[in-house]
Parts: sequence; C-alpha cells; structure tokens
Amino acid sequence: MDKRAAPTNAQNSGAKKHRGDDDDDEMDFEDGFLDDVDFEEEVNGQDSEDIQGVDFVDDSKTDQCWARPACVQLNPQEDSFVFQQIEIDHYIGNPIEGMPGQQAGKVPVMRMFGINDAGNSVCCHVHGFSPYFYVTCPPTFNESHLGEFKTTLNRVLLDDMRSNKENITDAVLSVDLTKKESILGYHANRKVSFLKITVALPRLIAAAKRLLGEGKVYMTDIGTPIYEAFESNIDFEIRFMVDTHLVGCCWVELPAKTWSIRKEKLDTRCQFEVDVAWNKFVVHEPEGDWARLAPFRIFSFDIECAGRKGVFPEPDKDPVIQIGNMVICQGETEPFLRTIFTLKQCAPIIGAKVNSYNNEKDMLEAWAKFLREVDPDIITGYNINNFDFPYLLNRANHLKSQQFPFLGRCKSIRSVIKDSVLQSRQMGRRENKSINTEGRCQFDLLMVLVRDYKLRSYTLNAVSYHFLQEQKEDVHHSIISDLQNGNPQSRRRLAVYCLKDALLPLRLLDKLMCIINYIEMARVTGVPLSYLLTRGQQIKVMSQLLRKAVEQDLVLPVHRGSGSDEFEGATVIEPRKGYYNVPIATLDFSSLYPSIMMAHNLCYTTLLTGPQMAQDYGLSADEYIKTPSGNYFVKASKRKGLLPEILESLLAARKKAKNDLKKETDPLRMKVLDGRQLALKISANSVYGFTGAQAGKLPCLDISQSVTAFGRTMIAFTKEQVEERYTLENGYKHKAEVIYGDTDSVMVKFGVTTVAEAMELGKEAAIYVTEKFVKPIKLEFEKVYFPYLLINKKRYAGLYFTRADKHDKMDCKGIETVRRDNSPIVANLINTCLQKILIERNPLGAVDYAKQTISDLLCNRVDISQLVITKELTRAEKEYTAKQAHVELANKMKKRDPGTAPKLGDRVPYVIIAGAKGTPAYEKAEDPIYVLENSLPIDYEYYLTNQLSKPLLRIFEPILGDKAESQLLKGDHTRSRIITHSKVGAMAKFITKKASCVGCKVPIDSASEALCKHCKLRESDIYMHQMTALGALEEKFSRLWTQCQRCQGSIHEEVICTSRDCPIFYMRKKVQIELVDQDKILERFGAPAW
Amino acid sequence: MFEARLVQGSLLKKVLDAIKELLNEASWDCADSGIQLQAMDNSHVSLVSVNLRAEGFDKYRCDRNLIMGMDLTSMSKILKCAANDDIITMKAQDNADTVTFIFESPSQEKVSDYEMKLMNLDQDHLGIPETDYACVIKLPSGEFARICRDLSNFGESIVIACSKEGVKFSAAGDIGTGNIKLAQTSSVDKEEEAVIIEMQEPVTLTFACRYLNMFTKATPLSPQVSLSMSPDVPLVVEYSIGDIGQIQYFLAPKIDDQDT
Repeated sequence: MDKRAAPTNAQNSGAKKHRGDDDDDEMDFEDGFLDDVDFEEEVNGQDSEDIQGVDFVDDSKTDQCWARPACVQLNPQEDSFVFQQIEIDHYIGNPIEGMPGQQAGKVPVMRMFGINDAGNSVCCHVHGFSPYFYVTCPPTFNESHLGEFKTTLNRVLLDDMRSNKENITDAVLSVDLTKKESILGYHANRKVSFLKITVALPRLIAAAKRLLGEGKVYMTDIGTPIYEAFESNIDFEIRFMVDTHLVGCCWVELPAKTWSIRKEKLDTRCQFEVDVAWNKFVVHEPEGDWARLAPFRIFSFDIECAGRKGVFPEPDKDPVIQIGNMVICQGETEPFLRTIFTLKQCAPIIGAKVNSYNNEKDMLEAWAKFLREVDPDIITGYNINNFDFPYLLNRANHLKSQQFPFLGRCKSIRSVIKDSVLQSRQMGRRENKSINTEGRCQFDLLMVLVRDYKLRSYTLNAVSYHFLQEQKEDVHHSIISDLQNGNPQSRRRLAVYCLKDALLPLRLLDKLMCIINYIEMARVTGVPLSYLLTRGQQIKVMSQLLRKAVEQDLVLPVHRGSGSDEFEGATVIEPRKGYYNVPIATLDFSSLYPSIMMAHNLCYTTLLTGPQMAQDYGLSADEYIKTPSGNYFVKASKRKGLLPEILESLLAARKKAKNDLKKETDPLRMKVLDGRQLALKISANSVYGFTGAQAGKLPCLDISQSVTAFGRTMIAFTKEQVEERYTLENGYKHKAEVIYGDTDSVMVKFGVTTVAEAMELGKEAAIYVTEKFVKPIKLEFEKVYFPYLLINKKRYAGLYFTRADKHDKMDCKGIETVRRDNSPIVANLINTCLQKILIERNPLGAVDYAKQTISDLLCNRVDISQLVITKELTRAEKEYTAKQAHVELANKMKKRDPGTAPKLGDRVPYVIIAGAKGTPAYEKAEDPIYVLENSLPIDYEYYLTNQLSKPLLRIFEPILGDKAESQLLKGDHTRSRIITHSKVGAMAKFITKKASCVGCKVPIDSASEALCKHCKLRESDIYMHQMTALGALEEKFSRLWTQCQRCQGSIHEEVICTSRDCPIFYMRKKVQIELVDQDKILERFGAPAW
Repeated sequence: MFEARLVQGSLLKKVLDAIKELLNEASWDCADSGIQLQAMDNSHVSLVSVNLRAEGFDKYRCDRNLIMGMDLTSMSKILKCAANDDIITMKAQDNADTVTFIFESPSQEKVSDYEMKLMNLDQDHLGIPETDYACVIKLPSGEFARICRDLSNFGESIVIACSKEGVKFSAAGDIGTGNIKLAQTSSVDKEEEAVIIEMQEPVTLTFACRYLNMFTKATPLSPQVSLSMSPDVPLVVEYSIGDIGQIQYFLAPKIDDQDT
C-alpha cells in the first residue's frame, strides 16, 4: 500500500485520540469526515474538473441510455418541488445568505438525497438546523443567568478544543430556559426547568456535556453544580428528522418561493441541487398516495479477480478481471441495463453489453465513470461491503488511479474504507468494512440475509437455492485465472457467470421484498434506510420514543451502561408429553407483550419507585398498581404512558395497513402495505426488548420484568380458567386438560374427537377467558393441532388446522427439522417420519422408513451432502475455550491450501470420518470434498449415535414406547455394512488390495480371474448383474452431468463447478469414483467373447 | 458346512482380546487352509492380520470358502461365557446368516451353545507384500508391553532405534524424556526370555504409542514377541498363537513433518 492509504490511517488514529471518556460514535465519525474533506480539496483541484469534463462528453456519445431521464426546467418562484428522500446526512459547510441559523463561520448543513417522480436525482441542502441538547437547571438558576452561562460555557468549550479548523468563535449559539419533564418516572405531570443548549457543531455536544457534567463551568452566583445531560446522545440526523417530522424514505415537498436551485458550482452529481431552510419544507406522511415509491435505480454488481493457486485474491497482487453490472428501476421486473466490463477481449453475450479493455486501470476507471453516469440510488450485490467494494478501492489505489475512488454523489469526496464494528444482542459482534458513497444507499444482500434469516449456509449459491430453488454454477477462484488466460470464449464463460452473480442479488431482493420491507421499516420507525443495516435494533425504538416525547415535552436522560441484572423470563407449563391422536386446540395471546404494556399502562413516565412515592404524590390505592414482580406504576387515569401510546398507534396503524391491504389490488402497492404491516408488528414487539436491553440507551428493568411477570401469571390464569370451566360437572362431555403452555400460548385437550368440535370449544374458551383480562389483552383461538406430537418443552409437531375440513401445513417447533447445527440427513429423516406419522397417520411406515435410512447410512449409500454439518467460524482459534470440530478442520485446511480454507465468519462444512477408538470428535472432522476424493471412511457410528438416535428416539418414544431403541437402532437392518478404505493415510501406500471373488467376496489368488470356483458356475448371472450396476451408474452420471451442464448454461463445455452447497456436485463426484471402480470389476471378466 | 474345533479354547478368547480394541467388526475368511482375518483399524492407521492354520484345530472342515462378518463386541461377549479350559467349536452352514459357538467342559459334563447373528460386511481384502526386514528383534512379550506402557507416560510417540549393541526405546514429552536400552542376551538359556537381534543395517523409526499399546493386548498369547523393521515400511509386531498360527500387527512409522 502506498501513500494513499497513509492519510486514512492517520486520520483514523487521530479520531481515536479525540475520544473523550463518554464520547459517542457520532463525534468520531464527524472528525473523520472533516479530515476527509480537507484532504480531498488538496488533491482534487484538477481532478474533479478533469473527470467531469471527460465524463459527460464521452458518455453522451456512447451510451445515452445509461444516464437518467432529462430533467424538466423548474422555476422556484412558481413551482413546488416534490421528491422522495432515501438518504440523509450532514456536512460542515458555509452558510448561505437568507437562510436561518448562524451566519458566520462554518455551519452544519443537512443533505437529503432522493428521487422525484420523473426519476431525476435530487440533492437537497437543508440549512439552519443546529444541534442542541438539554441539561438540568440548578434550582437557583433564572433568566438573568443565561447570558453569563452562555459566555462561560462558550469559553470553556473553545479552550477544550484541540483544533479549531472551522475558526469557530461562537461554539454555543444559544441557551434557553424551557419547561420540560424527564421521561423517567412519574412526576405528577409537573414540568420543571431545563436549559436547552444549542451549539455550532454536532461534535461539540459531547464536549459540552462532558464539561458540564464534570463541573468545569463556574458561575459566580451558582458555583459549579453538576449539570445532568438529556438527549445528548442522539444522532444529529435523527434529531433533525424528529424535529422536522421526517421519517425514512418519505416524500418531501418544497413549496414555491421557499427554495432555490443551484445552477453552477454543483457539489454533487445529482441532476437537481436545491437549497431550502429547515423549517420551510413540507413532509408528507407515507399514507395514501404518498406511500408510493419513486423509480429508484438499484445497481447490482459483482467482480471477479484472477487469484493465484491456493491463495485468496489480494488486491495488491491479483488483478480485477471482470465486473458484471445490472441496473433495475424500482417497480420493474427486469433490469434495463446489463453490462460487463472485462479485461481483455470477450466474446459477445446476448442481452448484455460487453466492454473490453486491455489495461486494468482503464477498465476500473471506466467502470467508476459508468457508475457515476448511471447514478444509482441503491447499490447492492453479494458481500459487496466486505469484499467487492474494498477490493476495488484497494486495487485502484494500488494501480494509482486518481479517478476511480469517487463513487458517491459528492464530487469532492473520495470513497475510503473504514472498519466498523456492530455489536448487537441479535447478531453478536460483527466486524465490517464501511465505504462511504454519499447519497447512495448501500444495501448488501448478504448483510440483509444474515440479519433476517437463519440459514445453514450463506453462500450465494446456497441462498439462491433456498429462496429461488435454483442452483448456480460455482467456479472456484483457482479456476478463474485459467479461464481468464484462455481465449475470448473462455472469458465469455466467466462473464456469463459474473453477470449471473450480479443478477441473483436483484432477484433475491425482489423475491424477499427486502427493499420494500426495509423502506417501510424506515418509514414506520423514522430512521434513514441505511441505519437499518448498519445500526442495531435500538435506534429504531429510540427514534419513535423521541418523536412521542417531543410532543409531550418530555426529555430523555442519558443512560450510563450498567451491569446486567438478570430477570425471570417467560414461563412454560410443564408439558404432558405424548402422541395425541385427538385434536388439540391452541389459544394464543395476540401481541402479548405490547398488550400487557398497554393494558397496565407500563411506561417510563408512569413508573413509581414504591408505595412511599405514591403516598408522596398523594395517590390513592386505586390510582396505581403493583405488578406481580413488585413494581409500581400509576394508572392511565393519572397519566397515560408514552410507550402504551406508541404501541397503540403502531397497532392501530397495523390494523389500518391490513385493512388497506385487503382492499388494494395493485400488486406493488400490496407489497408495500404488507411490508408496512410487518414492520409495524416487528416494531411493536421490539419496544419490550428496548426496555430490557441493559446495554441500551434507556433500559428500564422495572418495565421489562413486570411485563414478563404479567405474562407468567396470565398463562397460569388461563390454564386455571379453562380447566375449571370445561368439566363434566359443568355439562361438557369431557374434561379439558391444558397439556402445554408457552410464552404466549396454551394447548388445550378438550377431549373431543373432531377438529370442528375442538374449534368450537376453542373459540368459546378464548372469548370466555378474554373477558376476564384487562383490555386490550386478548386471547385468541388460532389453530387446532391434530394429531399432535408433544415431545418436550418447546419441542412439538402437529398437523395445523385453521379450517375444519383440511389441514394447512405441518408445524414443527424445536425439532431437528429446523435446527442448523446438525446434518441434513437428520432434518430430512425426521421430516419424512413426521410426515408419515402426522399426515399419513402411518407410524409403522415411519418406523420402516427410519430403518431403511439407517441401513443406507451403514452401507455407504447415503449421499455425502446429507452428512455435511456446517458451523460458523465465529472467533479465532484462541478464543474458543474448548476444541471444536470446525475450528480444528479450518486449521487443517489452512495447512493444505490457505486459499480455499475457511476464514473468520465463514460457515465451515464438514463430515465426521472414522477414527481410532476414543478419538475425540473434533479430530475426526474432515472437508467433504477431501473425503470424497480420497474415499475416506465416514464414521457412520457417529452419525447413528450422535446425530440420528436422539431425535429419532424422541419422536418415536411417544409411539413405540421403550422398544423404540432396540427396534430402530439395533435391529437386523443395522447388520449389513460396507466398509471403505482410505486412499490417504500412513498405511494406505503399503497395502495392496487382494483380489476377491466378485460373486461371494472370497479372496482368490489371481486378479485376472473374476470369480472363485464355486461362483464360476453362475458366471453369466453375476456378469449380467454387474453390467446392470454399471449401466445404472452410467445413467446416473449422465443425468447428473446434464443437470450441471444445464445449470452452467452451456452443453458443450466441461463442467467446472465445485459448489460445496450443491447436493448434485457431491453426487456427481461420488458416482464418478464409483463408475471407475465398477468399470475395473467388469474388466476382470475379460473381453466379452461373442 | 463349516466346522472348527479347538481344544485349547482359551486361545480364541485371547485372540479376541487382542483385536477387539482395534476393530469393531471384522470378517473371518474361512478356507481349506484355515481361518484368516485381516482388517484395518477404524482410523486406517494400522492393520491386523490373524492367521489360524487348519492343522492347529482338533477338527476342521470347510466345504467351500466363506466369509463370516462378525460384530467383535458381541463375539467377545459370547466368548466370555466360555471357561478357560473349555473346548470351543465354531459351526456355520454354507449360506447361513448365523454362526454357532459350542463350549464343552473338559469332562464333557457341560455343553453350552450360543448362536450369533452374522453381519454382511462388504469390504476389500487387504494384504501387505512380503518384505525382507533390515532388522528383526525378538524379546519377551511382557517386557515389550512394559516398555510401551512406561514410555507412553512421556510422549505420544516412541522411537525404536536398533543397532548392533542392542535396541533402544525412547520417548520425549512435556515432563521429560525416557530411554530404555536392551542389550542382546549373550547366553541363551531359555529362548523366550532372551533378546535376540538379527540385523542387516541399523534402523531408527518412530511410532505412535497408542497403537503399540493396543498391540500389546496380545501379550497373553505368547511369551515372545518379534518386531520387524525396515526404513520407510510399516513395523510388524508378531505374536504366535500357540502352535496354530500367529497374529501380526502392522503400523506405519511416523514421518516427522506429518502431524505435529
């Protein structure tokens, strides 16, 4: 790496030094950001003109269709300007005359990027919004102290700054006395005085807060009280959005006469660049017509690099050889632009434009120019954040390209790589690279999938198979170089592969409706789209909380991270295990936790520390409640809680969205509404989590433990009520029994024999019990399971009925079908067995099937892909306390070939191979491909005892009872085995295989003979048998080969795919080996004599 | 029809003890000439070969070659039912899926029979080519078992160095090192108590302790053990089974760069 990297590093470490003891990320980012600007300005003088000049002339000649539609001339005096914003950030710039706010020095300017209905890109500079926060007001402080406080704070702040690049003289813009109320605790609705401090730059907030908190601000009358800060830890963008009622991805209208258009000296590459004051624009709530989506350009790309054998490509050595691109407009089904940039000539591809270059630097620069020209709003791809983008930038840097790293919309800002760490309860610790592309939202599909879906494998191939049921050719990166060094045809092959990789993310985004769902989530929670991927869960609740708090003049205290107090979670009623061949009705609490919070008015604002405090406020006993966990809250009659209000509006909005959804006919708008109701549901449920997250911004255990405590008592109460009412004495035919209950549901056996009767009673019981609860808690009858296999806590399976006549699906919970820490054979076997038991109601058939599978396993007839276990390599070896199979294997593979070995964060596939007695399992893990190639023996015993036996016995014990084990695991079917011999290992090279009779396996002396003298009599019989076997293998192989050819999209080229996620790949490999062996056997019979 | 009667039934019990550590299941190849068993251990690092000659049996009949796959754990359970001085007979039909063990007490007062289900094991037949070994060491089997046991306390592998002076076993590990030297016995009174070295050239090889310790389970079979070594070929540890046959264990030497 050369000089380009140096400033970046220096700037990072510089930023770290700035960190105060209680700093927040925002400040950090701010510093880095400023340094960037400075740096760019030096280097960039001639660059930007140069690029722009070349860019527009050049491209207008070649490909008109790349650019966005031409824009209509607008007159700010007469026309209003409407666009949908998708990205909001801020920068430090010069104030513009006529705008509110500070007029001298540098000021923060908000920037909204978006699209209008015509598809023109827009950058809107919003001026005059200044950062602020609150501190508590000392009792003796009054209006007259404001002036002195401001000057003192200003002086202290300026003294504290290490550098003052912006030449700030007024760090504190204003100090105001306001009447506010802290959100934490009940204060009898009395507002008290707070100081609102407005500062010049966002990063000054943290400094001011620190200085005030440490007592560094001395005033003659007041002394140095400790000022407690409120709302100082809120991102500037969020603050801005809350105060202007902006939500993520909403439509913004600039009314006529309030805005101005920039004609020259544009900062960005957007078609419209406009200025507006922060309090002048109109925000449209995403309702009705404003729920529509502008025609975003979504850009997907994938790069190929020519790696060296055995080494993963490194940007300072291995060239980028191809970049495949797809661009689609939101709302359309097919990409309107497919191009591929290749190094060296490439044969033409139907439907795609091939741009070939002889020089890699030219190619990269042409691509960057192309990207700028296409001007996408959303950039997607697979693992672009951690691979493609950093690789391209590092490579361009290595090639000393000046023009490449300008991928954002701001002309003067160079895209650089930074490391970011995301720590969240939901995902654990993730280390990511982040690349700034101002104005373009990065939407890495891999990150979306890792966040939202639990999968066995996250390779693009596995993912596309899982969601699209399509296999994709997987060219190992060691072969890529060979294809590149071949001819235009072989490069074309690579290009097709590359284009497919660029297309798949778009198809997946469409199929999973990621973009629409995320946009709806941004709208519901009010955070920018990009926050949803780069930030945790909390920011979403925080944003909603702030919005409500502002309305009620509440302020949020800054929470200091504290230790973790555990509290009791949800409850389960001890299950009565067994196989129920009668309908089981399930009663569910709908939105249990939100409804508890609403019903009992649980909130920060209604919290009382104890009965003493209630007395102090003069509350009578019926004005507050004691929760089952011993916490006190005032009732809604005294103060309506904020959280219940948020929840009510969320649930009401969801109801509305669902109603609209029913009426809607337009498919795209239906998707939007569906995404909306989902986002609303998730948001409502995450409020409870927010109050319980100890490391969070505003945890409140009193609330969360009260919620779970209520939940527990409600489940127990429901059980009591149902069992009390449905008895023989009360005139029912059977006595009802609650056989199981979990967090928000109870399973009831009413004793009736038909689904219809169970439904009837279920509905009745739900209504009956609901009446006994406080509104809006509602017990609903949801479904009937018939039959129902209750294995253990959180483990059950059943056939799911919502209508009396036909089942909807088979529902399995906690059973190995859905877990991913075991091999597919377990999931498949259990799944089939359950189907046989539940749907076909043929338990004996299930037993036979299980036996057959076990027998196949022992005879090596099971496909190896069924035996692959995958585990994610989450930490470095040293950090694992105990040795683990996948870690050991990753090390072994690294020794064999560092290039293909799995890296941190990869999921490692492995199979367990046979080892000496007592060898720990972690030493027996092996790479499935290595096993196949060397025909290593699989440890079938391991799969039988450690993987299959427990899940199998669990589901069969309720049916077979004690005999299950001997029937399933020790029967005659386990007595036939095929033992293979490894081709590697210490002994393999010394051993010679002795010839044995093909018919009866008895050893015979000469290898040229096929049969022993006893079997010779049946020669033709045995020969025919072997011929049939050969024929079957040949046919199987041809079919597999054809399948792979189809997948690679060419039937006259060799298949080179080595996808480890594809079952066909393993089968093809195995059949190939078996075919060779079978051929040898037939040779021993000699040439057929006719 | 297959039938084999062994007066010294305890030998069969000892053979099973000598192999059941290494193998879970195995095929017994029965032919005119006798019974053979050859199999690699589960981890495919060592190979066991058992040979019982037909002449060694009191009565032996094998009409056609047959293979009997047996679960050795089950077989060992059955053989535990036999007393040490019992006469053991194995019997099987030509195409049977069971084998019968008959135990007769010496006085013929008690006869017990056990039938065991056979397994259908499909595996290759293996062999080690005949080799001339650079040195062959004969030593008391108890001594060898003791050496292996003691040295396994020190490290995972044992170095066996054979030279004109004698043979040296050594091991090194975290706690320190251990060396045991055996000199050739000069005067031979009892052959089985002597250390005899036949050597063409000196050889030094390294082997994994855990396997050697498994081989020494055969110690009760014979007072003497012979170790045959040549550079870069597997070590052969051989015990005779009374006068009816022998059991051989093959173990590949450890190569330095390989797994550390």
